[in-house]
Formats: sequence, C-alpha cells, structure tokens
Amino acid sequence: MTEFLAYPFFQRALAAGAVTAVLCGALSFFVVLRRLAFVGSGVAHAAFGGVAIATLLGVPPGLGALVVALTVAGATARASESSGVTEDAAVGVFTVAAMAAGVVALGFVKTNVDLFGLMFGNILTVSGSDLGLLAGAGAAVLAALVFFFRPLLLVSVDEEGAAAAGVPVGAMRLLVLVLISVTVVVALKVVGILLVSALLVLPGAIARAISARWPGFLAGSVGAALVMVLGGLFLSVAVDIAPGASIILLGAALFVASLVAVRARSVG
Amino acid sequence: MSVGIRFEGIEVRFGGLPVLAAATGALPPGERTALVGPNGGGKTTLVRVLIGALVPDAGRVAFVDGTGREVPRPRIGYLSQRSTLSPLAPVSGLDLVSLSLDARPGLGRRLAVREEAASALRRAGLPEEAVSRPVGRLSGGQRQRVLLARAIAGAPEVLVLDEPDTALDAEGLKTLRRIVAEEVAAGRTVVYVTHDSAAMGGADRVFRVDRSVVEEPPDEENA
Repeated sequence: MTEFLAYPFFQRALAAGAVTAVLCGALSFFVVLRRLAFVGSGVAHAAFGGVAIATLLGVPPGLGALVVALTVAGATARASESSGVTEDAAVGVFTVAAMAAGVVALGFVKTNVDLFGLMFGNILTVSGSDLGLLAGAGAAVLAALVFFFRPLLLVSVDEEGAAAAGVPVGAMRLLVLVLISVTVVVALKVVGILLVSALLVLPGAIARAISARWPGFLAGSVGAALVMVLGGLFLSVAVDIAPGASIILLGAALFVASLVAVRARSVG
Repeated sequence: MSVGIRFEGIEVRFGGLPVLAAATGALPPGERTALVGPNGGGKTTLVRVLIGALVPDAGRVAFVDGTGREVPRPRIGYLSQRSTLSPLAPVSGLDLVSLSLDARPGLGRRLAVREEAASALRRAGLPEEAVSRPVGRLSGGQRQRVLLARAIAGAPEVLVLDEPDTALDAEGLKTLRRIVAEEVAAGRTVVYVTHDSAAMGGADRVFRVDRSVVEEPPDEENA
C-alpha cells in the first residue's frame, strides 16, 4: 500500500485531507458546543444550490457555492437574532429554498454537471491549484478562529454571561456561521456535500466523549478529524472503496468506540 | 467612580404579548436596589435589558455618574437566575471567570487574569479542589458560587444579581450577604432580583416590577 505514497496525486490528496481535517476538527469543536450540527449540514446542502446556479450563469461553481452558503448563513443569523427563530429552524427553511433553486437551475443547464463528485467529493483528483486555494482559505479560517477564540468560546458556553461581559454575541454567532460556510465550500472537493456535514460533527462528538475540558476537547477534535481523513484515505486504497465514504465510516466507528470507552470508564 | 443606571420607557413584547410596558426608573450610583414582584412580572426581562442581553422594542438604558451625566457602559458583573451554562460546557470555574474577565479578541492576554479569577472564586467560597473542575461536574450550589465569582471578578462598577440566593446553603447565603455588603461599601451599584427584599441584608430602594415599574418605600427594618 505504501507505493501510493510515491504518487503525486496521492501526496496532494494527503495534504488536502490534512488541511481539511484541521479546519473541520477545529470548527467541529464549536459546532458541537453550539449544537449547530444541522446548521453545518444545511449550509452544505445550500451550497448545492449555489453550484447549480453558478453553472447556469457560467461562473466558477465554487464561487456560487460560497455566495449561497454565506447568504444562507447571514440570513440564518439575522432570523435567529431578530425574530427568536432558532438557528436550526432558520437554516432548515433557507436550505430547502436554496436546494430547490438549484434543482430549477439544473433544469436549464445544457452541460453535464458532476453531481456524484459534488455529493461525495473526489479527494484523489485534487489539483495543485485546488490545494493552494484550500491552504489559503484554511489559513484564513484558522487565523480567525485563533484571533477570536476567547469571545467565541465564552459565547458558546454562556451567551448571557458573554453579553454581560461586553462580547458582541450577534457578531460572534455570525462569525461561526461564516467560518462554517467557507469551510464547507473548501471541503467540498475533498468529501462532497453529503459528507462534509458529518466531518463538522463527528470529530467534536468523538472528542467530547473523551475530554470534559476545553484544551483536550479541542485537541481531541482536531486529532480525531486527522485520524478520520488520513486513516480513511489509506483505508480507501487498501480495500478499494470510495475515499469520502471510508473517511466517514471510520469516523462513525471512532465515535462508537469513544462511547464504549466512556461507558467502560464510568462502569469501571 | 460609582455608576448608576437610568432606564426610560422600556417596552418588551414576546410573541406580541407585552412583558414590560413603559418601564421607567433610576438606580442611583453606589446604592443597593431590589427588584421585587410576582412571577412573570418582567423582573428578569428588565435585568436582561439593563445588561444588554436583550434589545427592548422601545425605550433606552443609560449609565450615569453621581451628577446625572451620561457615561459609557461600565463593566457589569452579572449573575443569571437560571444557569445558562450547559452541563457539558468544557470549561472549569477558573476558565469561565477568566474568560469573562478578558474575552477580547487577540493573541495577547492579561497575565493577571487567572490570579484575579482565582481570587474571586476564593471570595465566593468555592472549595480549592473544585476550582479547576469542569462546571458540569459541580453541584448546583458550587456552580452558583462560580457564577457569583464571575459577577464580582474584576471589581465591576455595576453588579446585577438575578435571584442570587438560588441553590445556596446557609453558609453560601452568609457569603452572599457579606459580598453584597462589601461591594456596596466599595461604592459599587448593586441591583438584585428577589422575592424578599431583606434577603441580601436590605435595600436602599425597592422597585416593584409587574409589567410596569413602580418605586416602593424600602422595608425600614432592613434598609
């Protein structure tokens, strides 16, 4: 299996996988803390509408996905801020609207759209320019997470306390949604729309079962994402299955194992 | 400098139903004010407006100095009625108080923050061994002491306590009364929601909140 390491396409896949894992793992910490699992999934599905509309208009699909994902994220933050609708409910409405618009747009598209690749990703076809874009966007998201870590953490564990401490709670809510949107779009190539939402939830869920303190929780989330993505890649070439699916199946197995370990620890 | 709060014409509606209507009042600097009233009367809603956690449908909140001149929003120490902390929140009491003291964006941090937080936790009477434990693994009374420590940490000019005696045992109540007395003596403005205006050792002013706000004479025995 190690002969794959010599192939440039596999080296690019490993590098893209590592960047995606660090990004999704770090964000998964906040997704699980703020119970935004459905929001991550919703934004990913909304990106589908963006890709379809962009294809119809002849602009880069990634740009369409980003614009629609950010629009849905902004509308979700605005609705939950001004009308008291929960973020989950708001994103549920905007997501189906964006997907429906995408289906309508696809009806007018004359060229072929790689729907399978869009849904499940194709990490083994990541190009050098894809990797550069991923690294650039990833660096920006990570820089924002590091710079705003303290207010984001406080808002995530206690919004009222954060408001009293003078933290702009609405802006922090929006920031998390924007970072999720950017991450979803850059991770599309790696794991696809259907699976990126799982990559935003599973690492944090695994880490939460392991550590009750934030440093361990955060490090565990990034570590679990790296094991999922890199382990899933090697698994896919070892047993010849789709890499996106192997990444998520490995994550699901790790999650079950973490629950069993926690249960064994509490019983013991 | 002592900072007071003035609120004028506050209106809040939830689902079209008025919770507060034309609520107006002034909480003078350096005094102890009790907000009393029936359940559902709008006491917690009013304090959420005062701390900036809830934007009212109408009206405004201003912070004033001893001469009545408006000043910028001061640091506010806040203890909520029900803990809004998730039991799964992966922070210890020390983390929580430290974050509340210094939640600015950026890479640098004040080195004294952890010591300030630890000192507030000691003052609130949290046992030493519980200081670094995740808040989800503390008892209700211990968690209330963490929230009290967060409210008083860093010597905020205004202290807003929403039913602070919840879940506290007799020793905890004694600590709470002592802390409130010390804060008032240090010139801080203390506002607390209570069903018993004598609970925190009496009040200089009492406001009854029941959709509107009406000032009542304080109980003379406890004033």
